[in-house]
Amino acid sequence: MATVTASVPRLALPGILRHRAAHKLLLLALAAAVLVPLADAHWSSGSWPGALTVDLSGPLGRANDWIIDNRDSSPLFLYFFGYISNAVVLSVRAVYLVLLAAGWAGVTAFGALVAWRVAGVRLAVGTGVAFLVCGLLGMWVPTMQTLALMVVAVLTSVVVGLLLGLAGGLSERTDRALRPVLDTMQVLPAFAYLLPVVLVFGIGVPAAVLATVVYAAPPMARLTALGLRNADPEVLEAVESLGATGRQRLLTARLPLARKQLLLGLNQTIMMALSMAVIASVIGAGGLGDRVYQALASVDVGAALAAGIPIVLLAVVLDRVTAAAGEQTDEPTASDPRRWLYALGATVAVAVAVRLAGALDWPSGWTLDIAEPVNRVVDWMTAHLYSGVPYLGGTADWAGHFTTWVLDPVRDGLQWLPWWSVLLIVAALAWVIGTWRTALTAVLAMAAIGVLGVWKPSLDTLSQVLAAVAVTLVLGFATGIAAARSDRFERALRPVLDVCQTMPQFVYLIPVVALFGVGRAPAVAAAVVYALPAVVRITTQGLRQVDPAALESARSLGATGAQQLRQIQLPLARPALLLAVNQGVVLVLAVVIIGGLVGGGALGYDAVFGLAQGDLATGLVAGAAIVCLGLMLDRVTQPTERRTRKGA
Amino acid sequence: MSTSTAANSPVFSVEGLWKVFGPKADHIPADPELAALGTAELRTRTGCTAAVRDVSFDVRKGEVFVVMGLSGSGKSTLVRCLTRLIEPTAGSIAIDGEDVRAMDRSRLRELRRHRAAMVFQHFGLLPHRTVLDNVAYGLEIQGIGKAERRRRAAEVVTKVGLEGMEQRRPAQLSGGQRQRVGLARALAVDPQVLLFDEPFSALDPLIRRDMQEEVVRLHHEEGRTMVFITHDLNEALKLGDRIALMRDGRIVQLGTPEEIVGSPADDYVREFVRDVPRADVMTVRTAMRPGDCGGAEHPGALAADAVVAEAIKVVSRSGRPACVVENGRCLGVVDQARLLDVVAGAELAGIGKEAV
Repeated sequence: MATVTASVPRLALPGILRHRAAHKLLLLALAAAVLVPLADAHWSSGSWPGALTVDLSGPLGRANDWIIDNRDSSPLFLYFFGYISNAVVLSVRAVYLVLLAAGWAGVTAFGALVAWRVAGVRLAVGTGVAFLVCGLLGMWVPTMQTLALMVVAVLTSVVVGLLLGLAGGLSERTDRALRPVLDTMQVLPAFAYLLPVVLVFGIGVPAAVLATVVYAAPPMARLTALGLRNADPEVLEAVESLGATGRQRLLTARLPLARKQLLLGLNQTIMMALSMAVIASVIGAGGLGDRVYQALASVDVGAALAAGIPIVLLAVVLDRVTAAAGEQTDEPTASDPRRWLYALGATVAVAVAVRLAGALDWPSGWTLDIAEPVNRVVDWMTAHLYSGVPYLGGTADWAGHFTTWVLDPVRDGLQWLPWWSVLLIVAALAWVIGTWRTALTAVLAMAAIGVLGVWKPSLDTLSQVLAAVAVTLVLGFATGIAAARSDRFERALRPVLDVCQTMPQFVYLIPVVALFGVGRAPAVAAAVVYALPAVVRITTQGLRQVDPAALESARSLGATGAQQLRQIQLPLARPALLLAVNQGVVLVLAVVIIGGLVGGGALGYDAVFGLAQGDLATGLVAGAAIVCLGLMLDRVTQPTERRTRKGA
Repeated sequence: MSTSTAANSPVFSVEGLWKVFGPKADHIPADPELAALGTAELRTRTGCTAAVRDVSFDVRKGEVFVVMGLSGSGKSTLVRCLTRLIEPTAGSIAIDGEDVRAMDRSRLRELRRHRAAMVFQHFGLLPHRTVLDNVAYGLEIQGIGKAERRRRAAEVVTKVGLEGMEQRRPAQLSGGQRQRVGLARALAVDPQVLLFDEPFSALDPLIRRDMQEEVVRLHHEEGRTMVFITHDLNEALKLGDRIALMRDGRIVQLGTPEEIVGSPADDYVREFVRDVPRADVMTVRTAMRPGDCGGAEHPGALAADAVVAEAIKVVSRSGRPACVVENGRCLGVVDQARLLDVVAGAELAGIGKEAV
């Protein structure tokens, strides 16, 4: 190694390039010097060569047709998928009926009482108010539909996640097999999960529930395994030294010790299930998400907001209540079943009372129609803020300029690049940041996109991702640094970040459409807003966790604030910053894809189009490309260490 | 100190014990060439680490057997091998004559449940349980009913001086109190042997002294056999009836505190015990000049087990030599010169016979 690096003149190396990085790049350049002329001679440069693509639409279309033809006759469907489908439909229906039978008062009372038992009075009041607002906005029935779907999906996810987590936590080999799969599932955009389930189950509630389960179970599995593995080894040894059997060890030590992680897993599973249950409206989930989806399709911001507010309230309430359960360290409340019985009794009493009073359904006079005033405001904004504001230019103008001056050049530039150079760039970035393994995966994923024949739309999506990531990182790092330096700013920022991080992806589209209309720029804006909180939070945490002794020694040598930041904090926080980039990229991609619903075009649009038109072949190819793009982006930015999603 | 029980049969009898970590570990004890290699050399040649090498000792009934050594000397591994929390690589271990390495799972579990209980350095308490339920945990594992185990746990809690704290959780206790819980948990199952793995090294010095005295008191009251691991020489000298000093997995010297301090087996041990106040460890039995004083009144009349520091007080107060008396018979005489020799660190003849 010494001889190779010695041939690189030292002066040519900027400070940030370590010798190892230069070494890797040199090796890559050598490989490229051999391979590129070969590739060029064989397939020519420019866009991905047609000779290297495989057209999957034919086989996929046939598979889709076969499934549709055989759904009612093939034993696979009759005796396996059919049962699953029926079970899902029945259980969602049952929960929905129970919720309706409890009536609005019963559900609200039950929610508030549970929150009170688990998390105290303040959250109980908050929960009650949240449910009442849902009713007030005229969204009681859709809220209950979403809730019914959520209950079934979350219960299933928790059971599946617990079983997988137990397997991974207790067996080293299972863990090694399971972990890369779960890791990868966490970085894939939610949209990618929709198409395969639709292929098997068709559009409808079963597909929506199963997509939600597949999306929401991994965090439970990961955290269960993590909790079981991270148990204090000395406690386990002590338990073993007293002669405990395997089962005793699991039940009396490992599971109780993992309680915190289990509840965190529950929290994350619920949040991801909500996020997915809303997105799954695209494949027939119904409920609140469907209202938002329909409203966005006709650019009816008021109606979208009326359905969006209950989603946000539901998210915040569910998050806070389950998080509070996780923070409770002493006596779990379950040890006193009588109080739960009181809570249940009170719920039944309230439900019966309201039922006897004849107000089972939300009283029709109590609704508040916000759609119209909101739309008036949006109209006013369209008229006054979209363009022609003196000096500032207006939001639509900004969006237009952003599209013309940033998105178009980046997209055209990417599409102009020879295909092999894109692969080279991907390889170089991934290798310098990570290992040769991540580089290989990234290059293979990128190549797979070409092979699938969606090179151009993928690069279009990629251009949006790059633009959004750039904006996110600039804003996120700046805000993060500011928050790390000022306690007051961080305190002010924290509740904002908390709320932002709990909101489902879909909801971000609403304000963006109100401000910028539809198109690629709004999709990018939604992505930035969605990814920003995580980036800010990870940056702040990373900077704050820098060894105070190192900072103190720098201060004692008389370093200025800027010097401390540049020479101590940023270098030492490098892992956190890389993680922020990684999370930023993953989160941005998820929303850029959903942006297909509001005119983002490219892969997201292909997927939606495929779903909407029943042309699953196009949709599945787009879905596969989304998976590949997600893999590639994650691997390119993957630092050696990684943490759980959203850095929360 | 209970030298009188020395004649009894051993509780633990360890013979040629090896523990090697790494690939193909079981080849190393069997191969005399590999077995003779040093730590670093062994790692480069085979990738293995020998934590315990060819260790043999007996733990006698009722004694406090201290295994002492610096970190990495293999002492914690050794104590874990005794109940097979770590599976030994070679050698034999017997408890009351029963082969531990031949035990099946249920027999081993029975050993851990009833015969040997361990106290850990970082306590190993269950954070989600109260003090009382932590202490009762070993009984719960044995399948004893709730009321009975709580009653027995409450007794032990009182014995270790934690009454009134039964309903607290480990997080609400100080370090010393937590270790009392750890001790109580081990005592609650009424084991034949108590194993201590550096139980007090995570505690503050003052608390540590309290806890050492607690152990001395318990041992005095119950006479339970104890195996005590420590890296603290003073702790070893204070508690141990006999001390095994370990280095790089081997026992370099095994003997009473007096033997270790008075006649170190090699330079390593000598370096180790250099700063020990010898007058507090050596007994007059070692310091005396053997022979009868001739008189009947035995001036001074020191017991044979008295330490030199006491003899110095007596001799300097009276200004003349003192007699060493056992069972009314004069064993020898200590004078200023003999005592000064001990304090000055001269190695006296006739001690260290047991040294390995």
